[in-house]
Amino acid sequence: MKKLILSLVMFLCLAGTAYSQNRTITGTVTGKEDGMPLPGVTIKVVGAPGGAVTSTDGKFSITVPSGGTALIISYLGYISQTVRIDASNTINVSLASDSKALSEVVVTALGIQRNRNQVAYAAQTLDGTAVSENRSPNLGSSLSGKVSGLEIRQNNTLGGSTNVVIRGVKSMTQNNQALFVIDGVPVANNNMNTNDQQTGIGGYDYGNPASDINPDDVESITVLKGAAASALYGSRGSNGVILVTTKKGKSGLNITVNTGLTLGVIDKSTFPKYQKKYGGGYGPYYGTDESNYLVDNVDINGDGIPDLVAPLTEDASYGQKFDPNLLVYQWDAFDPTSPNFGKATPWVAAANDPTTFFEKPLSNNQSIVISNSYDKGSFKLGYNRDDQNGILPNSNIQKNVVNFGSTYKITDRLTAGADVNYSIVKGRGRYGTGYNGETAYNPASNFRQWWQTNVDIKELEAAYLRGKDRSAANPAFIGKENITWNPADYSVGSAPIFWDNPYFSRYENFETDSRERVIGNVNMNYKVTDWLNLMGRYSLDTYHQIQEERMAIGSLNVPMYSKYYQDYTESNIDFLATFNKQLSTDLNLSGLLGVNIRKQRTQSTYAITNGGLGINGIYSLNNSVNAIEGPIEVDAKREVQGIFAGATLAYKNTYTLDATIRRDASSTLPKGNNSYYYPSVSAGFVFSELLKEEKDWLSYGKLRANYAQVGSDAPIYITQNTYNIATPFDGRAQASISSTRGLIEAILANPNLKPEQSRSKEIGVEASFFGSRLGLDATYYSTKTVDQILPVKVSTATGYDAMYQNAGSVVNKGIELSLNGSPVKTSNFEWKVNVNWTRNRNEVTELFKDDAGNEATNLSIASFQGGITVNATLDQPYGTIRGKDFVYLNGQKVIGANGRYLQSETSNEVIGNMNAKWTGGINNSFRYKDFNLSFLIDVRKGGSVFSLDQYYGLATGMYEETAGLNELGNESRLPISQGGGILNEGVYADGTPNTTRVPNDEFGSYGYRRLPDKAFVYDAGYIKLREVIIGYSLPKTFIQKLGPVKGVDLSLIGRNLWIIHKNLPNADPEDGISFGNVQGYQVGSYPSVRNYTVNLKVRF
Amino acid sequence: MKKILLALVPALFMMACTKDLETLNVDPKKPLSVTSASLFTRAQHNFVDIITSANVNRNVFRLIEQQWQETTYIDESQYDFQTREIPDNFWDIFYRDVLNNFEASRKTMAVDITDPAQLKNQIAILDIMEVYSWHYMVTTFGNVPYTEALNTGNAFPKYDDALTVYRALLTRLDLDIAALTVGQPSLGAADAIYAGDPAQWRKFANSLKLKMAITIADADNALSRTAAESAIASGVFTANTDNAKFPYVSATPNTNPVWVDLVQSGRKDFVAASTITDIMNTLNDPRRPLFFTLDPTGNYSGGTPGRSSAYSNFSHPAVLITTAPFPGNILDYAEVQFLLAEARERGYNAGALTASAYYTAAVTASILDWGGTAADAATYLTQGSVNYLTASGTYKEKIGTQKWLAFYNRGVDAWVDQRRLDFPVLPEAEDALSGFPNRLTYPVKEQNVNNVNRSAAAAAIGGDVVETKLFFDKN
Repeated sequence: MKKLILSLVMFLCLAGTAYSQNRTITGTVTGKEDGMPLPGVTIKVVGAPGGAVTSTDGKFSITVPSGGTALIISYLGYISQTVRIDASNTINVSLASDSKALSEVVVTALGIQRNRNQVAYAAQTLDGTAVSENRSPNLGSSLSGKVSGLEIRQNNTLGGSTNVVIRGVKSMTQNNQALFVIDGVPVANNNMNTNDQQTGIGGYDYGNPASDINPDDVESITVLKGAAASALYGSRGSNGVILVTTKKGKSGLNITVNTGLTLGVIDKSTFPKYQKKYGGGYGPYYGTDESNYLVDNVDINGDGIPDLVAPLTEDASYGQKFDPNLLVYQWDAFDPTSPNFGKATPWVAAANDPTTFFEKPLSNNQSIVISNSYDKGSFKLGYNRDDQNGILPNSNIQKNVVNFGSTYKITDRLTAGADVNYSIVKGRGRYGTGYNGETAYNPASNFRQWWQTNVDIKELEAAYLRGKDRSAANPAFIGKENITWNPADYSVGSAPIFWDNPYFSRYENFETDSRERVIGNVNMNYKVTDWLNLMGRYSLDTYHQIQEERMAIGSLNVPMYSKYYQDYTESNIDFLATFNKQLSTDLNLSGLLGVNIRKQRTQSTYAITNGGLGINGIYSLNNSVNAIEGPIEVDAKREVQGIFAGATLAYKNTYTLDATIRRDASSTLPKGNNSYYYPSVSAGFVFSELLKEEKDWLSYGKLRANYAQVGSDAPIYITQNTYNIATPFDGRAQASISSTRGLIEAILANPNLKPEQSRSKEIGVEASFFGSRLGLDATYYSTKTVDQILPVKVSTATGYDAMYQNAGSVVNKGIELSLNGSPVKTSNFEWKVNVNWTRNRNEVTELFKDDAGNEATNLSIASFQGGITVNATLDQPYGTIRGKDFVYLNGQKVIGANGRYLQSETSNEVIGNMNAKWTGGINNSFRYKDFNLSFLIDVRKGGSVFSLDQYYGLATGMYEETAGLNELGNESRLPISQGGGILNEGVYADGTPNTTRVPNDEFGSYGYRRLPDKAFVYDAGYIKLREVIIGYSLPKTFIQKLGPVKGVDLSLIGRNLWIIHKNLPNADPEDGISFGNVQGYQVGSYPSVRNYTVNLKVRF
Repeated sequence: MKKILLALVPALFMMACTKDLETLNVDPKKPLSVTSASLFTRAQHNFVDIITSANVNRNVFRLIEQQWQETTYIDESQYDFQTREIPDNFWDIFYRDVLNNFEASRKTMAVDITDPAQLKNQIAILDIMEVYSWHYMVTTFGNVPYTEALNTGNAFPKYDDALTVYRALLTRLDLDIAALTVGQPSLGAADAIYAGDPAQWRKFANSLKLKMAITIADADNALSRTAAESAIASGVFTANTDNAKFPYVSATPNTNPVWVDLVQSGRKDFVAASTITDIMNTLNDPRRPLFFTLDPTGNYSGGTPGRSSAYSNFSHPAVLITTAPFPGNILDYAEVQFLLAEARERGYNAGALTASAYYTAAVTASILDWGGTAADAATYLTQGSVNYLTASGTYKEKIGTQKWLAFYNRGVDAWVDQRRLDFPVLPEAEDALSGFPNRLTYPVKEQNVNNVNRSAAAAAIGGDVVETKLFFDKN
């Protein structure tokens, strides 16, 4: 050390004396491709301190000591040049851009930049344009198909959540979402949705907060896939990390403005086609002798003679055959505002089926980013406004994001910086999800499962609007705008029986929400020596959100108003010492030592009116009919204290050995078991360094292998049993072990929990060929997660549904493959291809076993309407779908004597598996002069989905296949006696083919009633044309005339344009119910939306 | 400067760290302990709720018993119990929400009730409620986990023989009856049924004992006789004022669950079943307007069991029983009088009256309790088809039919006795998925988490299907 300092002093002295006579050199730096001046380029004299930066017009002026021989001209993203200084005092340079240069540096855990050769684990980097140029407001969903090992699932609700899982589900019941880290700040990506929402019962999908990131602010994204890459993050890194690096102020003033307009149109292949032959009803059992499809025993017009009336109370389409000559009193005959009031009208199929309920929304997006840097520091300021309208009436999400970042050099060694990202997201009229939420109406479940094909959507809209006009004119009608097609009886102004008018629901029973959020950090960097750096940082992610839900007077459900407040704060204090020292010419040692304190707190309050609303239109808790029940409060705290260290030894830039260790102590685990270690070790071998001279076809080659152990702490507050307080009963206090509101569950706490552990191994190869025209990255990994902290489902005879235990293990094994190539590359034309492919297999290898050897064979993760469960089943992949199956004989379905399928005795047969066989994406991009075109195809192979929409929708006879011809060529809806009915395909128990036709003149033969659950499990695979981008950049010759303008890009963008192939009828196989571990189930699925965007980007 | 900064760093960390991390892991919003009284109240509430409920996910016994019929979605009327996981829900509510809370209350009482006499009374009352809960478990499923149940140390409880459990329950009742001491302090208001009155609870326990004794009349006649006789001797209900009524209130969430299911929901899922309206019409039953509304033709009519039925065409459950504060009824005087009548017919020493007199008292008590008049009852009983001495059929048919009518809106109880007495004969539901359900199958969850024990129990009772007859159902 002493020697080192001495030699340092010597060096400094020499540097001070060597140069004495100066001269000034000036010049201009331009870009090679476009000839435009490059501002902010760094100019340095070789071997001398100091330097200069080009101005906005690319000009520079630098003082050169007399001994100076050459200038180094460098600029991020361009190939640096060294120019000899000769007699001339003017040097003009043109720099060639270097796409490769960026990929040479890899951002790794904690934001540490590493030379690619020294990275011995899988890390895939994307340029920020990957998430910004498609103009999608959701950063997570933009990653689909672009990174191997990463599985993105999104649903089709407006602003709904996106599921981001790296390398499969590892923890059976805890969070498996990848951790987002923005410039070193871990960002919460919590689930905002209720348990009811997640199990398809009902509720709004409030999205997940990872979408509060402005895609335009993203410089690059690095996905750290394996545990070795993310072990330094401790327990939080166990699911992989998505590192987002935001834009930093670059030299020179840069202003980029984006303005875009998006049109959304539903993809009709993801919505049902309705039959147009039969109208509302469940079958022939209305009227006097219960044999009619129409009601014939009610006198509507008061003439004393019974009239023909549609069975209005029924939400199905197994009714009377359409006949324009048949005059029937329909729902609008009971609407006093309707021109058809009191009139019988022709019994015909609706001109406007529910497809017309969906709007074609226009959304717009504006953003501006201003950045600059100067010798003392840099700053950037960005603003993004995204105003999205949904396909449902009265749905809108507004997002405003401001971000500011600045650095300042206090001294040459001390730098201070701060970043702040402020966002406010406001939602109104988010889509209801699930089957039939008490509070959140889902029109898709209405239209897909329970509908009358004679009901015209546009007439319902008109009825709602007329009702609104009427109530505006006469207060006596206030609250009676809900003129529905599905009234409880045949009286004027009847309350609904099962369904409100969908327009009433959308316009009166909407939710509103807002989330204000600050993500930011302040940091200081102190460069102790040129090889040692100290960094201290305080970072904060905090948001405050309000969700308000309403149910208006006049609704089917109990009128209500609810308010939910949530405050979330996470703070991190980090201190990090990093060093990088060249020990000898061949040996480099770099490393780090750090501490981290993480504190999280969630506080929330939920209150809801009780028993209805007193005054119409007032959404206030004090407008409750009965005294409200006590609000539900949550106050959850967690603190994790971590220390960590890492070292990387590199020999000849060829061999790398890397080791890290972290120790965390968490507040959620019991004392004595609360601290745990995460070690990792990685080795890399860049074989191309050895072959460089001999093999010119090999541009780069690296082998890497690693092992890591990471873990997770427990959910908050599960080490002690607590009681639930229930609303007092007529003055009597009530308390219970099982929860009394919401989730009815009793889980036994465990004071002896220890952390769950995950061990992973990975080997990979990275290579590029032919001057990097072809690149390959392949990885094989295996992860075993043991001692999982599970609410082990136990016999409820214990008094509990589940008990927290360290039990069970899951193994994930997989292959990740990325290929990139440039098959054609000329100065005018370039074709690039990127392929990503992922295959993950997982298996539940252990569940709960007691000392006596009793073993649980299944852990139900969620149970759904229809008796379907999604499970962790022993010796099966995680995420088996279980329910009733057919009975088979030699592979054929067995049919009973009555012509109906036999069903398995138990309802826990494995009938599907939510996991894809593999996923992949192919992106092709072409550039011809100023035009570019790219398209991304996203593929998911296999996996299954249970569709509750098909389960009910087929039963209620709305779909075309329920009203077709049978095997005799007759209308299947005719009575069997007239040649109707359907013939189920299968054999009798004795193996002979079925010949017993079953009736189809009423509901039951299709759909849930007579078919096992298995009949509604479909292959969830798809091939999607995910993104198409056509871009045009104004030619530079033209730009030069535009004064300060540096570039103008015009692009046409299409997202989710075409599902090239799918096996799930009537819906988008990608759509799920929510965010989280439970997938493979669809209910009330919204159609996918094709988005067409025009975007103009101007750079100044 | 540098030194100061470097010294600051550790100081800052020391300040930022919480010393005893685990102290953070205590939920400030949920108590670690509560009073035994609050647990008892909740458990009793849960018990009455599940017995009273008309929720199609939990309590579908009015449908099985053909008191009601579903209108459009007739799955449960056709014995589809799997789609809505009814066995799971019924089982879970009893073990988890009723019995486990009673057990928690029992454990807490030992701590928070310091007067030994009061504790004795309270434990006895609590134990009576538990015995009643077990009665429903074994008469619904057959063999169930009992000796190893409610023990968190055993995640895989074995199932016990139902009749053995039943005998043990009767023993428990004897101890409870002996323990109840009039004049000593008790639960008070926490008991919403009798305000802790030991005298009332003793009558209740004796009435329950009589009910349970008669339930096993065909399974263990000797025990049935001794238990019934000792219960009668000790003192059962003597008037409608003894009825065990649970005082639901008008304000949610403490309303009668039927109001929630039928009125608050806005749904129109149920009409009368033709089985009950046909019988009542034939008998000119004065309870018709108390049970049902009139149909559009001004008559009482019901939908055919298992067939879709238009809501507007048939009678509906009467307004009275669908009001929010309509009391829950878990055991009443009419039922006791029917039990006495049957005890008499079985030759037990059942007090002074004849079977006919008990029957008459039972029918009269039911009519009065439902809001009819004594004159209504007298007129009704003079009919040849109603009067015990003239009505056709065996005692099982006569008592079975009238008890079944008296058990209107108490589907679970109707189901137990209708299976045991085999009257009234219920027509087969149309298009049914199975034969008549003599039990509920074991929950799907037990197949997943406790299958070795479940399979053994299934084999022991003769198969885990709904048609399997249970221990008390001998014919």
